[in-house]
Amino acid sequence: MLKSSIPLALLSVGLLGAVPVHADEASLRQEMATMRAELSALQAEVNQLRTASPATTPSIASTPPAAPNGPDAAEAPAPSGSMSIAAAASAPAPVPMASDQSTRLWGYGELNYNRPTGNASAAKADVRRAVLGFSHAFDEDTHVYGELEWEHAVVSATDPGESEVEQLYVEHQVVPAVAVRAGLSLIPLGFINERHEPANYYGVERNFVETAIIPSTWREGGVSLLGSTDSGLSWNVGLTTGFDLAKWDATAAEGRASPLGSIHQELAQANANDVSMYGAANWQGIPGFTVGGGVFSGGIGQDQKEFLAKNARLTLAEVHMRWQPGPFDLSALYAHGQISDTEALNVSFIGHPTPVPKSFWGGYVQGAWRVWQRGESSLAPFMRYEAFNTAASYAAIPQGLGVPVADTERVWTAGVNYYLTPSVVFKADYQHFNIADAVLGYGNRFNLGVGYQF
Amino acid sequence: MREPCAPPASRMFSRVGAAVIFAALSSAAAAAQVVAPALTVASLGREIFLDPSLSASGRMACATCHDPAHAHASPNALAVQSGGANLDVAGFRSVPSLRYLNTAAFFFDKEGTPTAGFNHDGSAASLLDQAELPLLAAHEMANGDAATVAARLRMAAYADDFLRLFGNDAFDDAERALLRARVAIAAYEKSAPELHPFDSKYDYFLKGSVRLAPAELRGFALFNRKDKGNCAACHTSTRGSDGSPPLFTDYSYDNLGVPRNAQIPANANPAYFDLGLCAVNRSDGVLRRDLCGAFKVPTLRNVATRQAFFHNGLFKTLHDVVRFYVRRETNPEEFYPRDADGIVMKFDDLPRELVRNVNTLEVPYDRRPGQAPRLDDAEIDDLVAFLQALTDGYDPATNTADPARNVPLAR
Repeated sequence: MLKSSIPLALLSVGLLGAVPVHADEASLRQEMATMRAELSALQAEVNQLRTASPATTPSIASTPPAAPNGPDAAEAPAPSGSMSIAAAASAPAPVPMASDQSTRLWGYGELNYNRPTGNASAAKADVRRAVLGFSHAFDEDTHVYGELEWEHAVVSATDPGESEVEQLYVEHQVVPAVAVRAGLSLIPLGFINERHEPANYYGVERNFVETAIIPSTWREGGVSLLGSTDSGLSWNVGLTTGFDLAKWDATAAEGRASPLGSIHQELAQANANDVSMYGAANWQGIPGFTVGGGVFSGGIGQDQKEFLAKNARLTLAEVHMRWQPGPFDLSALYAHGQISDTEALNVSFIGHPTPVPKSFWGGYVQGAWRVWQRGESSLAPFMRYEAFNTAASYAAIPQGLGVPVADTERVWTAGVNYYLTPSVVFKADYQHFNIADAVLGYGNRFNLGVGYQF
Repeated sequence: MREPCAPPASRMFSRVGAAVIFAALSSAAAAAQVVAPALTVASLGREIFLDPSLSASGRMACATCHDPAHAHASPNALAVQSGGANLDVAGFRSVPSLRYLNTAAFFFDKEGTPTAGFNHDGSAASLLDQAELPLLAAHEMANGDAATVAARLRMAAYADDFLRLFGNDAFDDAERALLRARVAIAAYEKSAPELHPFDSKYDYFLKGSVRLAPAELRGFALFNRKDKGNCAACHTSTRGSDGSPPLFTDYSYDNLGVPRNAQIPANANPAYFDLGLCAVNRSDGVLRRDLCGAFKVPTLRNVATRQAFFHNGLFKTLHDVVRFYVRRETNPEEFYPRDADGIVMKFDDLPRELVRNVNTLEVPYDRRPGQAPRLDDAEIDDLVAFLQALTDGYDPATNTADPARNVPLAR
C-alpha cells in the first residue's frame, strides 16, 4: 500500500532538494514550472503502473503521519518530522486517483513503562495510545482526514481510558501551494503537537514543555488556510474554537500540571462563543535547518452566564529551531502563555490550591546523535534539558490571600531511541527532576517504551 | 427514627406553628412577590406543607419544624422537637433544613463513598418516600395510618383543589390519598424556588456583583485551605463543571464523633446510641459497621440561621461548632466527659467498639493534644463571618440577609 507512494515521496523530496536557497526568483519559478511539467509526465506513468496495488496520497500543504515511511525516511531514521516538514514546505502536485484507490488507513501507537527511582510502588505500565487514521480523496484536490484514538487500553465508566476523535477535517487544495482546511485539526505550534507519532520525538514520553505549556495533542475546530512558498516558507493561519476557562478547577492539581490541558475542549460540545486565531510559520530554506514559531490567541470566557472572567484572553506564543547537520539533530523551543482578566475569578478561588495563572512558560534544548546505522536500523542517544513553570505569576489578590507562584521545574532527560526500522522505535531514558513533578507527584524515573507508525 | 419534629412544650399554644410562619412571612411581605400561583401539584404540595390541621395535635404542620423563616429548618434552639397529639413526644434528631436537598437515593459512589439519600441517615430513597413518616410517626404529626391522613385531607381548606387535580374519587382510597399528598409535597420540595433560591451574599459574590468584606474573605480562604479548615473537602464551595452554583455539600457522610447530648430524652438510656448511616435496615441490605456513627454532610447554606447544630443538636452557636472541629483532638477535655479514672472519654456517643469509625485522619482533625489547633479563635471568627455570607435572601442595599425574603405568602 505504501510502496506506491514511494515515487511521489521521492519526487517531493527531490523537488525540495532542487530548490536553491538563494536562487533568483524568476529563474527559480521557471525551473519549478519545468519540474512540474516533468512531474505531471511522471505522474501519468505512475498511474499506469498503479494497477494492482492500492495507492496512497500525500497531503498537499500538510503531510499525514504516514509520510515518514518510505526510503527517504529510511535514509534518515532519526525523528522524521524534518522530512514531514520538508514535504509540507514543498508543494507536490496532487495525484489523480481511481475511486478504489482513494481511501487509505494509517496508524500509530505507543506502550510505555515508567519506574520512579524512589517510589517503586508508583511504577506504571500503560498502552499510552493506539491510533487509527484514515483519509479519503473525493477528487484530486479534496480530501477528508480523520484520526481516532484510544488511550490507556480500556475505556469504560470505571476505567482510566479515553476514546477520542483527534482529527477530523476536510482539506481542499485551492492552488498547488495553498490549501484550505475545515474541521477539527491540530494547532501547528511547536514540534510535537502536529508530529506526535512516537518515532518523531526522542524519549519515551513527550517532552514536558510541549505537554504542560503547549498542550498536546491540542486540536480545535475551525477553518484554516495553509501553504508554502518557493523560498521554503510554510505557513498556516486559522480561526478556531478555543479554551473554556469556566472549566478551571481551582481545587484540583490539573491546572497546575498543564494550565491549558485542563481547560481544553477538544470540540466535545465545546463552548464556542469566542473565536480564537492563530498563525504559524516555518522556514526551511536551508536543507536540514528549520526555524519557526507561532501565536495562538483568543477569548476563553466564552460568555458563560454569571462567569467572573468573561473577558479573559489567552495568548500563547512559541519559537523553535532545529538543525540536523549530518548525524546530529539539535533543537530548541521556547513557549510563553498569558491569561488576562483572571483577578475576579481568582478571588472566588481564594484558599484553593490552584488559581488561574497570569503567565506560564517553558523551554528546552535537545541534542541527539545517530551513532550507528545499518540498513533501516539506527541508534540515536540523546539528551534534553527542560525548564518550565506552569504558574509563573498570578494577578494580584487582596490581603495577600493568594498562593505563591509555582517553582520552576527543571528536567534532564538522557536516553536512546533505537529504530528497528524508521517506523518502529524502542526507547529507554532516565529523567532527573529538580522537584517532584506536579503531574507525577514524584521525581526521578526510568522509562521504557515501544512505538510504531504506519 | 425519622426526623423529629415538634415545638417545645413552652410554646404549645394554639396553632403556634402557623403563627410563627405567618409572623415571619409578614416581616418579609414587603420584599415578597405576592402573586397567587396557578394550581399545580407543587402549589397544592405547598398548601399541604403549611397545613397544621393534618396533624393529630392540630398544631403541627411540616412547616412548624421546617420553618420557611428559618430557611426551612428549626425555628428554635432545641436539640429535638416534640410531636404527637399533645406535642409531648420527643423526637430523636435535630431538624435538617429542606433547602438545597439532593435528588438521588442513597448509593456508594465509584470510590465507595456513601452518598445521597434523604434524612440524616439516608434512610429515605426519595422525597416521596421521606414525606410519609412525618405524617404518621408518633413523635411527629402522629396520624398513625393513611385513613387518618385521608380524613384530615378531606376536611382541609384545599380539599377542592385536591379533587380538581386528582379526580373526584381522590379521597376514596386512603392509601392512594396519602400517596397523592406525598406526591404533592415532594413536587413542592423539588421545584419551589423558595427552597433553592441561590441568593446569598456568596452567590452575589460569585456573580461579581458584590465583594466580600475582609473578614469574610479571610474566612473564605480558611474555609477552602486544605491545611486550615479544609471545610470545602465536603462542603463544596466552587461551581460545578456545568457552571451550577455550589451547594456547600457533596451529600456524602462523615463520622465526626459529636459528643452525646443529654438533652435528647432517648439518651437517658445508656444502651441507646444513634448510629446514623448503619442504624437503618435498608432494602439494599446495607449494614456496614464501619459506617456506624456517620451522618449526612448538610449544606452550609443558611447554616448561620440555625440555633442547634449537628444531628443531635448539641452545639448552639456556629463559633462553638467550628471550635469543636478544630479543638476536638487538641483539647478533647473541652467536649467529652471523664470516666471514673479521670480519663477523657472521647467520642462518648458511640459504643466503644465503634469509636474507631470516627474521622481522625483528615484536616482539621489530624492533631494531637499539645499541638496547635488548625484554627485559632480569631480565625474561627473569620470563618464564621464567611459562613454568615451563605444565608439566603441577601439584600445588597442593606448588606443583610433574610432567608424568608423570597418566600411567597401562602396561596
